[in-house]
Amino acid sequence: MTETLLSVRDLRVSYKVGASRIDAVDGASFDVPRGTIVGLVGESGCGKTTIAKALTRVIADNASITGGQMMFEGRDLVSLSERQMNALRWREIAFIPQSAMNSLDPVYTVESQLNEVLRRRGGLGRREARKRCEELFELVGIDKGRLSDYPHQFSGGMRQRVAIALALALNPKLVIADEPVTALDVIVQRQILDQLRELQAALGISVIIVTHDISVVAYICDRTVVMYAGKVAEAGSMQATLTEPSHPYTMGLRNAFPDLQGAASGTLTPIEGAPPNLAFPPPGCRFAPRCPFVLETCRQVNPPLETVGPNHVAACHRAGEAVELRTQAARVDTWSGKVLA
Amino acid sequence: MPHLKAAISRTLQLALVLWAVVTILFLMFRLMPGNPMAAYIDPTFTLEQQQALMAQFGLDKPLWEQYFIYIGNLLQGELGQSFRYREPVATRIWALLPNTLILTFSSLILAYTFGILAGAYLAWKRGGVVENAAIPLVLTTRAMPEFWLGMVLLAIFSFNLGWFPAGGTRPAGASYDSLWALYTSREFLSYLALPALTLAIYSQGLPLLLMRSNMLDVMKEDFVTMARIKGLSNWTVVVRHAARNALLPVMTSFAIAVGYQLQGNVVVESVFSWPGLGRELVNAVSASDYPLAQGAFLMIAVVVILMNLIADLLYALLDPRISHA
Repeated sequence: MTETLLSVRDLRVSYKVGASRIDAVDGASFDVPRGTIVGLVGESGCGKTTIAKALTRVIADNASITGGQMMFEGRDLVSLSERQMNALRWREIAFIPQSAMNSLDPVYTVESQLNEVLRRRGGLGRREARKRCEELFELVGIDKGRLSDYPHQFSGGMRQRVAIALALALNPKLVIADEPVTALDVIVQRQILDQLRELQAALGISVIIVTHDISVVAYICDRTVVMYAGKVAEAGSMQATLTEPSHPYTMGLRNAFPDLQGAASGTLTPIEGAPPNLAFPPPGCRFAPRCPFVLETCRQVNPPLETVGPNHVAACHRAGEAVELRTQAARVDTWSGKVLA
Repeated sequence: MPHLKAAISRTLQLALVLWAVVTILFLMFRLMPGNPMAAYIDPTFTLEQQQALMAQFGLDKPLWEQYFIYIGNLLQGELGQSFRYREPVATRIWALLPNTLILTFSSLILAYTFGILAGAYLAWKRGGVVENAAIPLVLTTRAMPEFWLGMVLLAIFSFNLGWFPAGGTRPAGASYDSLWALYTSREFLSYLALPALTLAIYSQGLPLLLMRSNMLDVMKEDFVTMARIKGLSNWTVVVRHAARNALLPVMTSFAIAVGYQLQGNVVVESVFSWPGLGRELVNAVSASDYPLAQGAFLMIAVVVILMNLIADLLYALLDPRISHA
């Protein structure tokens, strides 16, 4: 087992909406080993983007980190002062946003935006910055003549490459990519993922990829963290979690996506219903109202994360019966006709 | 050369708009009730004398012929003779235009500088006590009629405190070698202060509220969040990214404001006896001095159109998305 770069423990992030408080992330724990790609996967609203933002501590005005730890190389990001945190931002933890169109300032050239981080954050001189810009463009495969172009002059895929170049500018240790390919078509998705993988391996950095698309995880990630309704449902190596899922939600997710390779793996089966309203979470397991294998205890007792294999944890009362549940989960009729709460 | 091409096509459009304005002005004054010569012609004149005068001004010719003569004259910078002053309209206008432009631009630059800074600040410090007090205050200044505000300022700072003169542009009897000498003199500044302040107070609400709401929108943009994630300083995030983007529509509104301001000047110039185009326009219309009124209208239209052109070109310069479109 490699050394851990980031270790998130019992993280809680809540939003104040009106008078009520919504725990978008409710006690999430997972690790990011050095030099690996970790996929944070789940439906919209499960808290994965909130975690990604929380790691930079740039969160919405009505959100706050209410508990837990984010240990990054021995420092707890939760308790760092704003000044200490700011020193870390981009130099050690960089971010690739979902839509590179909106995340690049439209009125400056991409070179000027690269320069901004290189010079203001990296302390490089004019000439060094210019050299680094060319280097970065070469790294992501864009002609350096386009450095003086504005964001709107690039295509979607190119813009995402620019975003990757920006993220790599200061040689960070951790890159958080929030749905980095969601806005792109499948061909470009693959190119970008290939490039990300290549750069990650070459530079030895760690990457967290936030995605709702389990085929992206299967394609690129070393490890998987499956989130459901603010909690970690299952986590482990990509192989283990996707070939031998122990949580019914992971089994369901796997059925609901085609894979990126294009191999037809049978019919796509959606998980009926929607995640619970986090203002009023169900008392027991949060997946219970949608789970085809629900038991009475599931509705009352929240299952803790338990080891189900080497380096593989799941939060399910029936994790012990995973082999049997997997065969049932593979059948379409298991998931249809499920009565919704 | 996308910039040059855009500039040329803009200039051509401008010429077209100008032609339309000129034509409308020409027709407007000829459709107005009453004889345009009424102010000029003495009732004791004989019919022959009246006709001779009409012929002298070309008013006996058919409308289309008058129109071409008018356009032809305009192209040579000839705006006709003022009925009242018995001097060329152009001379009169050139004497008054600088006063109006100085008043307009000094008040607008004041209003926009203040409005942009205060608007950006209010957006940044959203939801505080300052905002709760400032927004109603700004709306109040926006709701006050300019002539009323002008009179209040006059009553306080001129009649009561005696800090500023009550009207005009220079002390009685003072003469200056040139307009430049007048405009750079200290006395002129004290004459300019109250009317400029009146217009500035009236005008700052628009850029302030516009800047504030733009800023609030831009602050929600992903690139502002990204700037924070990049660990850039607050100043860089707010000024270099948020304010820079929020400024774009405010710049356009400046040009439109110049148009409004020239219209507002009519009132404020009257209150402060400011010898400008606006006051002259009022006088010319009430005295049926049609050539002068027509010339003043035309001049105001030219300034408004020119400002729109400047705003367009400036916008292209400030927003790369426009110049590449």
